[in-house]
Amino acid sequence: MIFTTEMIQLFAVVLGKDCERVTETLLREGVMQFINISELEGEKPESLSEIKSEISLTEISDLRKRIEGLLHTGGIIPSKPKETDLNNRISVNIEKEKARLDKISGERESIRERQRTIQQEILKLEDIRRQVELYGVGLSDVTLPAKHSFVSMQVGKLPVLNVKQLEDGLRGLPSLNIAMGQEKDVAHHLLISMKRDNEQIKKILASAGWTRIELPGELRSVKKDVFKELSVKLKTLTDEQKKLEINVNDLVRKEDKRLMEIWGNLRVNELFYKIQTNFKSSSRTVIFTGWLPSAKKEKLTRIIKKACEDRCYLEWNEAGSKGTIGDEVPVRFNNPKILAPFQMLVSNFGIPKYGTIDPTPFVMPLYLAMFGLMFPDVGQGLILTILGALGVSYLRKKEGKEGLYHLSWLGVWCGCSSMLFGALFGSYFGTGLFPPLWFDFHGIISGHGADNSVINDVFDILSITIYFGISVIVLGLIFNWINLIRERKWMELFFDKGSIIGGWIYGGGIYIASYMIAHDYKEFPPGMILFLLIGLPSLLLFIKEPYHFFKHARGQSDRKFNVFTLLNFLMGWIVELLEIFSGYLSNTLSFMRVAGLGIAHVCLMISFFTLAEMTSGIGYVLILILGNILVIGLEGLTAGIQALRLNYYEFFTKFFHGTGNLYTPISLSSSYK
Amino acid sequence: MARPLSKYSFINAKLRARISKILPGEMFDQLAKASSLDDALALLRETPFAGLEEIYSRTGDLKQAELELLKNEIELYRNIRQYLHHKSMELVDALLTQFEIDNLKNAIRIYFNRKIRKRSDDISIHYILYDRIIHEIPIDIILNAENFDEIAGVCEGTSYSQIIRKYSHTVESEGSLFRMEIAFDHFYYKNLLSSIDKLDKRDRTIALRLTGVEIDLQNINWIIRFKNFYGLPLEAVLAAIVPGGFNLDRAIMDQLYSAQNVTSVLQGFVKSKYPGLSALLSSHTSDSTSRLLLIRRILEEIMKHEVQRILTGYPFTIGIILSYFVLKRNELKKIRIILNAKQLRIQQERIESMI
Repeated sequence: MIFTTEMIQLFAVVLGKDCERVTETLLREGVMQFINISELEGEKPESLSEIKSEISLTEISDLRKRIEGLLHTGGIIPSKPKETDLNNRISVNIEKEKARLDKISGERESIRERQRTIQQEILKLEDIRRQVELYGVGLSDVTLPAKHSFVSMQVGKLPVLNVKQLEDGLRGLPSLNIAMGQEKDVAHHLLISMKRDNEQIKKILASAGWTRIELPGELRSVKKDVFKELSVKLKTLTDEQKKLEINVNDLVRKEDKRLMEIWGNLRVNELFYKIQTNFKSSSRTVIFTGWLPSAKKEKLTRIIKKACEDRCYLEWNEAGSKGTIGDEVPVRFNNPKILAPFQMLVSNFGIPKYGTIDPTPFVMPLYLAMFGLMFPDVGQGLILTILGALGVSYLRKKEGKEGLYHLSWLGVWCGCSSMLFGALFGSYFGTGLFPPLWFDFHGIISGHGADNSVINDVFDILSITIYFGISVIVLGLIFNWINLIRERKWMELFFDKGSIIGGWIYGGGIYIASYMIAHDYKEFPPGMILFLLIGLPSLLLFIKEPYHFFKHARGQSDRKFNVFTLLNFLMGWIVELLEIFSGYLSNTLSFMRVAGLGIAHVCLMISFFTLAEMTSGIGYVLILILGNILVIGLEGLTAGIQALRLNYYEFFTKFFHGTGNLYTPISLSSSYK
Repeated sequence: MARPLSKYSFINAKLRARISKILPGEMFDQLAKASSLDDALALLRETPFAGLEEIYSRTGDLKQAELELLKNEIELYRNIRQYLHHKSMELVDALLTQFEIDNLKNAIRIYFNRKIRKRSDDISIHYILYDRIIHEIPIDIILNAENFDEIAGVCEGTSYSQIIRKYSHTVESEGSLFRMEIAFDHFYYKNLLSSIDKLDKRDRTIALRLTGVEIDLQNINWIIRFKNFYGLPLEAVLAAIVPGGFNLDRAIMDQLYSAQNVTSVLQGFVKSKYPGLSALLSSHTSDSTSRLLLIRRILEEIMKHEVQRILTGYPFTIGIILSYFVLKRNELKKIRIILNAKQLRIQQERIESMI
């Protein structure tokens, strides 16, 4: 758990005729992160060539993405293929599937075209309606349009046979043509159009045999509400639009089962051929290599042998051994699921280098302790836990929302930590409902702490966080030494900022500070002790620069030792010392923010209680509720960020470089986005 | 006088957070690879541009979605404006003028096509903004106007009225809106530069540089267009040029105009002023379309370079606001290009070269 999963490299040679079965087996198992065989060191045998697949991987990928796009438009997100999809893998007929997709796309496009036409109609009618609304025409008397309106209205008659011609002519213009009635072969119409189109309208009406008339007496009684008519027409068109929108979705949904099947098969084939792009073949054999967790070695050996009926050569090389290909060993975290939210915080900073310490198990207690110290309250912690739990239940098993899911879990953990520290400090929604298990934080800040407590004032609270900070920094240094020992970097282990000498100086600094505090800041430790604690390690650190110079100058004629080199050594040494002294001091003092935020939290709650006491009844309750909401939102976020910052910059920087390469095997659950 | 820290600390933090939300390059690659417009819009579903897909699914009308995009862009300026100090507010207002001018130009174009060119252009009417941007301009009246006097009348109280009155006869006699539109653009930059003049020294220097570069890019674009597409003589081109550029002087403009190969002049300009961008110059193009694309890319890279310079410099200046607007404008432009290209079924490679 402290170190990442142990990895092993497989170098395999199988017969060409077993290649397909072996590929399927490797995909089913999904544990190999392949290395492209072209990376093989030394002379590559010319006889080795790429595996020739029946279909191009790009074509499969493009088709798969096309189906994915189609499914997305129907709101369907395909789930990752299963083992049954692999068992039922069939060869893809690209042309046939393309034709099927083209058909669906074509149908969709024609619906879109229809939507566009209707939309134009809607826009035209909306234009008229807007004008009518804006410039308020007296619609009851259609013969008297308002003076400043841009809308023109007229009643007229035309032969019934010409009605269609009129409708066609008006199609391109914003207009509303309402049939008012019919007398034998003559139709009476009310036409609303835009004045700006008068010239065109006149031509259209003339060709349709339109005669302008006064509203006929018998039709005057038909009180047509033009505005209502307009709204009805708009509603009809909008309804039609809605139907078409549903039709587009149905188009995909109708085919979704089939599309999902094709997608699954394409995805499996895509992964299958992706694995084979890492293979190299000779006339009869195929070779491949890659990394996998050591624990999977036995099982993979067994299934590969089974797939090729023992006709294979498998060579296993431990990470770091001479036989491995490529320098970089992929890193697989080795943490239980419970640590997933904290692993997310670590990987957000970087991936640990293979073989070094994975800080995840330490981040959990440190992060939670920092958060709890900054945000200690049982009630508010409970709310945070509930909110986190709600997030967890909502986001559970939601694909693509893993980050938020882990964040919700982090909320649950942080809430629990708040509750724990709240009980220790006796804070329940800012009140002292129960006595504190450790000390009365609120009491100390508000100036009435218990006298018999070990913590009596703000300075005591600050010193807790300083001790906490020292522990975190020392832990970081120890981890650094462990990493350097494992990597056999002896020089860095002894002569560097985070080295044993660096730690020696830091320890010395802590002793001197404690000594001075114990002597009321009036006395330094004796000179000899000062020399041993600070002077000697500082002098020893001078070795670093000359060591690097002479080590790297070997064989380089332009790097000669002279007086400037000596000055360089001196400057390098001074800068390094300054960095150590100021760096460690600021790193340690940085932890005072933990106490600072804890104090701010208490102060905010005291302020809200003071405000509430200035009112009574519902006002009192409301202020306290709003105050708690504000504190949970504001302080919760601040404490979360500051705890993260302390982990990243005060703890991680001591030992964690985040230069690792995450283990990403090709498997059925590989990400396809 | 407010200190830079108090003036810009909040907006600086806010905009830096927003900058991190701007769609990454990979997203545009994915959009370019999408097999259809529907697929591209589906990809935007999980982004702040999800509204576009909703509008398109409802109407099948991409222009309607684009109109929404424009409204959002204007809202963005208004939203940031409220967090600013009054001098910076004036600058944002000046920037907002661009949207008002563009909208007014579109409305006048519709009027011009209907009344002067006698062409019906009714569809464009639906994709114009009727809401107030800065001034209360009744767009309806402009669209339905009988003459330029009526348009100038409804714009009374704004500087646009004078421009319309001044150029209405020229437009009618030449049968082209060219001079009026150039005058609008000149007004925009003049107004922008005068609002920059009111800023504090540090802000002024930064804003002048960025606006100057923008003017340069606009001028380069115009020189190429006016010469190659409109065939304007050098004097006419120089009269149209916007003053206040940062890098382009008269000599370079002359050179750009008279050069057979504009790209080579531009390459010389980039080499001297922006040596860091010389990698761009290695591209060799033969056909005119690719050359134009290369020119556009060079201009965009220059702007990007300037924005990067601001973002890595002293944070508490007007620069962060201007940079954010540039980045956001680029983002929206790319989205518009890709979606339109998808509707026109333009090939992926071509789209990639366009963005």
